[in-house]
Amino acid sequence: MGSVRAELLKLKRSSSWAVVVALPLAAVASGAGNTVLAGEPLTDGWHTLWMRVVVVYGLFPLATGVAVLGSLVWRADHRGGNRNALMGRPVSALEAVVGKLAAVAVLAAAMQAVLTAGVVAAGKAVFGLPGPLPGQYLLISVLIVVVCLPVAALQSGLSMLMESFAAPVAVGLAGSVGGLLLVLLRFDAVSLAVPYGLTARATQVGTGAFMDAGTVTVGTLASMAVWALVSTVLVTVATAALLDRRDAG
Amino acid sequence: MTGRAVANEFAKMRRLRTAPALIALVLGVTVLTCGTALSSPGFTDSAGDASPHSWRVLLGSMGIAVPLVSPVLIAVMASRQVDIEHRGNGWTLAHASGVAPGALCRAKFASTGALVAAAVLAHSGLVVAFGRLVGITAPVPAGPWLGYTAWVTVVGLALLALHLLLAAWVPNQLVGLGIAVMGVFAALSSAGMPDRLAFLLPPWGYYGPAVPVGYRDGALVALTPPHLAALLLAAGAGALFLSATRRFDRQEA
Repeated sequence: MGSVRAELLKLKRSSSWAVVVALPLAAVASGAGNTVLAGEPLTDGWHTLWMRVVVVYGLFPLATGVAVLGSLVWRADHRGGNRNALMGRPVSALEAVVGKLAAVAVLAAAMQAVLTAGVVAAGKAVFGLPGPLPGQYLLISVLIVVVCLPVAALQSGLSMLMESFAAPVAVGLAGSVGGLLLVLLRFDAVSLAVPYGLTARATQVGTGAFMDAGTVTVGTLASMAVWALVSTVLVTVATAALLDRRDAG
Repeated sequence: MTGRAVANEFAKMRRLRTAPALIALVLGVTVLTCGTALSSPGFTDSAGDASPHSWRVLLGSMGIAVPLVSPVLIAVMASRQVDIEHRGNGWTLAHASGVAPGALCRAKFASTGALVAAAVLAHSGLVVAFGRLVGITAPVPAGPWLGYTAWVTVVGLALLALHLLLAAWVPNQLVGLGIAVMGVFAALSSAGMPDRLAFLLPPWGYYGPAVPVGYRDGALVALTPPHLAALLLAAGAGALFLSATRRFDRQEA
């Protein structure tokens, strides 16, 4: 737990809040703004608004945003002797990697909270939608946070290996493009298996967009969440092993 | 700015992995354009027709792929090209060698800009090759195609200039890359905005009005982009870049 607390402390001095707040709010502003400019009504109320904001957000900016956060949490450790300070502590490489993952996960969860709050605010203040945001979207928001974990683990691993801040973001962007292609070309199983495809698919649950059936079932949510957690564990263990080997070298 | 300073920037790129970023830019746009076109209903069916529909689908798909992929990768290239000067105190070294910080930025623009322009030409050409490969028999709409390619080159170079300046001003790469990711929203949104509004978000907002096709009453039709706006963007961005880098020249490294 010490590593997790240390990473969360490091976040205080980073500018991570800017990404966490600005990226989802830009998605809300873009989705709501386009709807207003196009003069297209929200025919199905909250569902249409959610689709216009969250599906686009999941197709590309979400994974790239997580990539930026991954670079951010490793940024300090690539400077001066900080890498030695990180590895010189009496904790295992796995604990150090989990600490980094926890920091990205907390930021990804905060990003989703801002997105959901932004959709609610736009729905009420801009479009005057009746009633609250349907409960299923709160559940889907939790799923989106869970499917961000494998992307966070992968991006954190890349940021550990690459000293550059920008290079892992470029890889994250390439991953997002790959995930988007899998969705566009309807490669159902592969898009669910690949972390960048999984984030895109999770943001489409319940919307009927692309390959989504348009219904929300516990089975769909659970299978996505379970695979996300399993792949997170696999990537985290592999990253820790890599860190151990590189540190010994 | 001397030719030697530009050649030096190309030498730095060897260790900066600029080539993979450039390849990602070309392949990313090409593959995403082709994937979007293939998933468009009626694209392959109309390939054998004499109508220009299939080429319009490809142009429209490129209009989605370019703003999705280019802003972040151009920011990555600019950011890495400048970051080495912050890390290795290259500003002082270059200044002591007779290349002032502003001149160094201009050398970076000339070298990286040549690669960005080549990348745009490459993905534009590869999409034409893909169109021929899937059997589109209609002649390539050369005017709109070249116009769009030129426009995307101008916006790409304006983005590069902006990110070079940002990276030189702010050593924290989060700022440049954060702005690049946010810029994608502006670039994508500009497609659905009236041109006058899109032009308020330079340079990203210029990606939308550049697309020479669009849907009108459910049909994909040819449009005439306001090319004068691209010229104004080129002139404005060029003037701003030159004046900002001249200020750098007068500053202590």
